[in-house]
This record gives sequence, structure tokens and C-alpha cells, in this order.
Amino acid sequence: MPATIAAAALCPSPPLLCPQLTGRRPVLPELRAACAEVVGRLLGQDPDVVVVVGPGAATGTWDAGSRLDLSALAPGIAEGGRGTAIAEGGRGTAIADGGRSGVPLAVGLGAMLLDQAGYRGPRHLQAVGRDEPAGACAKLGAELAGSGARTALLVMGDGSARRTLKAPGYLDPRAAGFDSGVERAIRAGDLAALLELDQALARDLMATGRPAWQVLAGALPAPAPATEVLYCDDPFGVAYLVAYLHPREGEEGTR
Amino acid sequence: MSDPGQGGPQGVLRLGRQAFGPDRLLVMAIVNRTPDSFYQPGVTWDPTAAMERVHVVVGEGADIVDIGGVPARPGDEVEVSEEIRRIVPFVAAVRDAYPDLIISADTWRHEVAREACAAGADLINDTWGGWDARLGEVAAEFGAGLVCSHAGGLPPRTRPFRVAYADVVDDVRRTTLALAERAVAAGVEPARILIDPAHDFGKNTWHSLEVTRRLAELAATGWPVLVSLSNKDFVGETLDAPLDERVAGTLATTAVSAWLGARVFRVHQVRETRHALSMVSAIRGDTPPALAVRGLA
Repeated sequence: MPATIAAAALCPSPPLLCPQLTGRRPVLPELRAACAEVVGRLLGQDPDVVVVVGPGAATGTWDAGSRLDLSALAPGIAEGGRGTAIAEGGRGTAIADGGRSGVPLAVGLGAMLLDQAGYRGPRHLQAVGRDEPAGACAKLGAELAGSGARTALLVMGDGSARRTLKAPGYLDPRAAGFDSGVERAIRAGDLAALLELDQALARDLMATGRPAWQVLAGALPAPAPATEVLYCDDPFGVAYLVAYLHPREGEEGTR
Repeated sequence: MSDPGQGGPQGVLRLGRQAFGPDRLLVMAIVNRTPDSFYQPGVTWDPTAAMERVHVVVGEGADIVDIGGVPARPGDEVEVSEEIRRIVPFVAAVRDAYPDLIISADTWRHEVAREACAAGADLINDTWGGWDARLGEVAAEFGAGLVCSHAGGLPPRTRPFRVAYADVVDDVRRTTLALAERAVAAGVEPARILIDPAHDFGKNTWHSLEVTRRLAELAATGWPVLVSLSNKDFVGETLDAPLDERVAGTLATTAVSAWLGARVFRVHQVRETRHALSMVSAIRGDTPPALAVRGLA
């Protein structure tokens, strides 16, 4: 069956992407703008379905109506009572309305980005287990790509959280090399390189995106897609990468 | 001797040779024997400066001094032997200078706690949620007290990363109750056990605010509640205030926590905290004003 990935977008999944969680002041507006832009481009492909892929405790799908349960991250704001955060630019984001609670953070944030973009079409919410080996991740990616529908992939995943002394995981000298390897692979469209990432090292470095990137690699096998990196930085010591990937001219949809 | 583990009213708290009823709000002064703690790093690294700090905080009304040798934040490894070297001789020196002062050892390691208790410490302040299960046995051996805290299951000296709780207060309550019961089982005198929700530890700012908002639920367990709020990040983030501008926020949180039932307050600013707590005690009607002549002449 021909692959039908129209395009893919890569976004990080820190809770601070969610405006309701970060208080009154805008936090990382440039990161949020990059995520909004890349999701906008993805949706501009007019896909039949958007597949959101993000790491979770276990591989599995979630009801399309599932949304992130903000109360677990920020008790006191979901009730709308005293202490309610003021959403800056939330644009009608649906939070915790319907769907079962407990959708993994990354998947829930992907769903949020789609909501923020005003997307109301079909969506498939896919968690990939944080300990899933590369082969299983790639297989899942191939299955998602082979559904027959014209599919847009929104891949949610983060690099190391141990890049600086103030990083959540403190400084690990291996973090910089790991993250630059991922960046290089994305920039070159060399997604096969993502399948070679060391699973144990990724776990040590708190690089939660590893299985999701490997799903991406399975969904977009050779030839190398064209890629564009919209954001690549580590403002809090965690590597965030926003990128847009699409099959090269004349090659879309076949392999 | 009461076991408050099943919940109920607050009872007597015993520390050292002293006993405190629920109305007494106690100030625990932080004395860091570290070069690199987050607040005024290294200010009491020198032993002479540290002892001077003890003289000052005692003069300002501290009930307890909490002596620690390892910063909470990640950093260079501090071996057990080095932690002992940093705090144990100092505990002994403070004990010599102040025979009745309540001395707390801020450590999560039972080896360090044992040496500190042998040198005169009355209380083991474990901020890391019972990571070392043998702390209770040391407290029991020396008739010392134990602080049972909630760090969200994090290993010592690690930061929270995207932590989420179905109900953070419920998690704090269950965790600290279980630790308190473990301490009782190890032989620690129940009247010497405190619980501490450990603001910022394994928590984001929303979680620390929620824990503060619902502190009465922890007090309702019957265990005396210790809070460590002083100049912490959740205060800084709430106010968008750098480290040196968090005292007012700390004192506001202190007053609310006292009102909701906290009994021990671990702080950098002893005089200001004493004032805030005396105000709360007077508002509650637990203690009369120091002087009341206004309109009474």
C-alpha cells in the first residue's frame, strides 16, 4: 500500500506550551509561534486525518475527544474559581471537556495545538510507549502511514532535559551531542539516523521524544523528505525542536 | 502518648526536652553549612560565621536551628563523610553553647543523622521523603524526632520535571502518613514526628499553591505540620520576584499556613517570621498583644 503522508510537523511537548499553565506573562512566545506556524502549514495540506503521535506510558490510541487534564499539572485553575489563571491567547482552547482523563502529556499538547489552530477535522491520537524499541516504533509509523488516507503527522517529542546546570535534569555532558545528532538528522532529512538513537542514553538524558521520532522515521522512509527547522533552542535546559517535513516535489505519496 | 495517625486534633509536640501545645508556633532557623545553597550561598560556610548566625537567630527568637550540609539543588556530589564533616562538629559546638536549644539536622542519610544525633541533635529533618528508610531507626535509637516529607518520589537533589498529580494534596497526605506510620513502627515516639508537604519538592508552583491552599487537610491528620516556604521558587514565580525580593511573599504564605494549622516554620528571616506568627497567634486569640493601651487610657 502506498504511503500517504502529506506532511509531518515536529513540536516539543513541555507543559509550558499551554498558555493556561504559565501565569499572566507570556512564556516563550517565539516557541509558541513556531508551533502554531508549523501546525498551520501541516493543516494547509488539507489532510484527510491528522495523526498526533507522542510518548506515553504505553503504546495505545486515545479517543479523538481526549484532552489534556490540566488539573493534574495545575490544581486550582480548571475549576475556574479563585486563583484562575488568565489565558493569554488561548483562543477557545477546549480543555478537559469530554474524553477520558489521563491522555499523555505530549499527545494532549498535540491535540491542544490542533484546537488552537481551529482544526475540527478527523484526528487520531496515538501514544507510543516510552520504552518501545526502535523497531516497534518504526512499524507503528509505517502502519500509520499506510492507512490509505492522506495523513498529516504531528509528532510531539523533546530532546534532552539535561543540557545545563539549571536544566530539570542538571547537566549531563552527553546531552549536547545527543541533541545535535537529532537536529542534524532532522535538518538533513536523514530520518533513518533517528532509528539508531540509543534508547538507554535517551532515557538517561530524559529525552522523552525518542520513541515519537522513531515513529516519524517509520512513517517517512526513504527518500529523504525536505525539512525546515523553525525553532531549535533550549531556553530552560531542555532541547526543543520545531520542524516541518514534507515529501519532495513529485514524490509525495509514493515509496 | 498519643498516636495521631488516624487523624484528629493536634496534640503535644515534643522536641528535645521541651513540649509544645498546638497553640505554640515554632520558628526553625536555617543554618547552612554549605558553600552553595540557593539563598545567600556560602554565607555560613565559615564555622565562625555559622556560629554567629546561631547567636543572631537565637536572639531573634528562633526555637529550633536546622543545620544542613548538602544543598537541595543538584550539584557536586557531597559524600557522607564530607556531610558529616560539615555538620556534626558544628552540631556539637551549638549544643555546647546552647544546652537547651532544639537542634535539627537537615539530612536524608541515616549515617549522617546518627552522627548528628550522637553530637546532640534532637530532630532529623528529612526533606527527601524517606528516601533512606533507616532514618526512623536512628531517630528511635536516640529518642530524636523525625520530619516526614513529600518529595513526589524524587531521588534526593533532583528537580521536578513535568510532574502531575491526580490530587497533589491527597498524594502528600498519603505519603506523609505512611512515612509517619513507618517511623512509629521503627520506634520513634509519635509526639516527636512531624509531617512536611515540602513545597517546591516534586512540585510545580501550582502544586505548591494548592498544598498551601489546602493545608488544613494536612493538619487534620493530627500530625504537627512543618512548612518550609522561605524564599522558595513558588514564591518567586508567583510574584515574579528574584531571590532577594521574596520575603514579603514568604511571610504572607507563612501567615496563611499558620492560620490553616501549620506549627513549625523553617525560615531564613527569623525576626520577620516571629512577628508574622505572633500576629497570627494574637488574631486567633491564642496569645494576647504584647501591649494594649490604645483607646484604653
